[in-house]
Amino acid sequence: MTTTRVAAATKTSPGKPPRAGRKRKRSRSLGTYLFILPAALFVVATTVYPLLYNVNLGFYDAPIQKFLRGTVEWVGLSQYQEALGDPKTWVSLGTSLVYTLATIALMLTVGTAFAILFTKTFPGNKLLRSLLFLPYILPSVVAANVWRWMLDGTSGLVNYLLTTVRIIPEPVFWLGSPTFALPAVILATAWTMVPFAMLLIIAGLQNIPRATYEAAELDGAGRWSTFWRITVPLLRPVLSVVALLGFIYTFKTFDTIFIMTRGGPGDATTVLPILAYNEAFVNFDLGSGATVNTLLLVIPMVLAIIYFRSTRKEG
Amino acid sequence: MKKPFALTVAATALVLVYLIPVYWMVATSLKEPADVFNVPPDIIPTPATVQAYLDTVFSDPAIWRGLRSSTIITIPTLVLTLVIGAPAAYGLAKYRYRVTGGVLFLLLAAQMLPTISLALPMFAIFSQYGLVDTYAGLIIANVSVTLPFAVVLLRPYMGAIPGDLLEAARLDGCTAFGAFRRVGLPLVRPGLVMVATLTFVMTWGEFVFGLTLATSDDKQPITVVLNRFIASFGTQWTNLMAVSTVIAIPIIVVFIVLQKHVVAGLTEGGLKD
Repeated sequence: MTTTRVAAATKTSPGKPPRAGRKRKRSRSLGTYLFILPAALFVVATTVYPLLYNVNLGFYDAPIQKFLRGTVEWVGLSQYQEALGDPKTWVSLGTSLVYTLATIALMLTVGTAFAILFTKTFPGNKLLRSLLFLPYILPSVVAANVWRWMLDGTSGLVNYLLTTVRIIPEPVFWLGSPTFALPAVILATAWTMVPFAMLLIIAGLQNIPRATYEAAELDGAGRWSTFWRITVPLLRPVLSVVALLGFIYTFKTFDTIFIMTRGGPGDATTVLPILAYNEAFVNFDLGSGATVNTLLLVIPMVLAIIYFRSTRKEG
Repeated sequence: MKKPFALTVAATALVLVYLIPVYWMVATSLKEPADVFNVPPDIIPTPATVQAYLDTVFSDPAIWRGLRSSTIITIPTLVLTLVIGAPAAYGLAKYRYRVTGGVLFLLLAAQMLPTISLALPMFAIFSQYGLVDTYAGLIIANVSVTLPFAVVLLRPYMGAIPGDLLEAARLDGCTAFGAFRRVGLPLVRPGLVMVATLTFVMTWGEFVFGLTLATSDDKQPITVVLNRFIASFGTQWTNLMAVSTVIAIPIIVVFIVLQKHVVAGLTEGGLKD
């Protein structure tokens, strides 16, 4: 049936007068906007508008009570100046960066190691690979609570295992410790993100031609030098996509940290999204929350532009 | 080639270690509350009991309400995402609009936004329209996240529909939309399944909108209800892990059934656009 239809198409099209054809094409192209119109309007209404609204809200003194009564006050740039002058903001930015970069480092190293193992041929490969994917799709609320339990100071499994094999002399109160809380949330976040990294890196590895490896073997290259001189350079484009996506997804993480530590102890794990939440929904100051929120948006937006440009170039 | 079996053993061991947290969640949920603190811990729950499930999911109305709210939010979000997203993905793949670049950028950028950055102004806007603490508000908020994601992931699938088939449908008298619906959509079923699965996964596990936009116990999704219960579950790890397991089960089931589509789709979506 398909072939007859295609044949009919080629038969009829030259018979049409060119003028009518052109006219029809134009009206068709206007009509085709209907495909994207609902989605475009929706995104403008629920993303673009709220973001502009947010930037604007940052110019107002708007505690929730005042906001609901409609008596907010224009305060110009003062809240932005205040946020930029507040060490809290910079500490949070620093925490965000440490958190994000450490998670990416784990994603790249562990993800690459897993990917190399799973590009080899062995029975059960596919099944094991998809099992490994489970942490990525688990709701972050679930993952965060499980890790809270695993890292519990008195009865947590992590402490039990580590003290039994004597890696640590005594139990650590991971989430209550200003030193260990950040590494703990990094570990939990990386646990969920590594499978995603692995998936993309596997795809990258499969694109490296076998012949390259065979040539290296003929030249007598060892495993390490093959890895560093062939795999890593050829994998670079994929690794940079993983790093970029990892940055974007980790930088915006809120749930995992909120559930595990609420940003504490003190401000040890207060990343920027937590700070914005605290301002708006704990201190009930929408204006000041919006200010932090605007600052929080700058970095992902810059990265979005980089990502967009890099994918455009390839396409 | 020499030692595939050794690799299987190594990979199995690795996967088992990596999934310890998942096992520990289920194992804890099946323990007696007192056994949770045993030293050394019971690796296998002895005696195993489903008491925690009976105490929470089956007797606690709050947990039931949370599960119900999650369902009421997830299903319309899924439907709306597909109904609005599929035509958009098709349009962006098959037609050259003057705004194509702009729309694509918007969609990619939207995916990179922190959820809290949307939740905060949405709370302010929704409170003016009476949408705070309504299912409608929560559904709109969720679609704002899943829609850009769906369009971007579906676009490559739509692009792969043979143009000849669509052209033929048009000549047989289909409208542009008819060709999309009758010829295009059936051909991209795997892509639709993938996007539906991921939309389900994202919405079912959503937390930030639920936390900020649902103020009453009644409307809060199960993820938020669970979190609210942490204080009272503080030492009741069995209950907490039972509810966590219940939240995870639909995701795990859907994933097991549909994982082939999902993994392929995510690889495509991550590496191309």
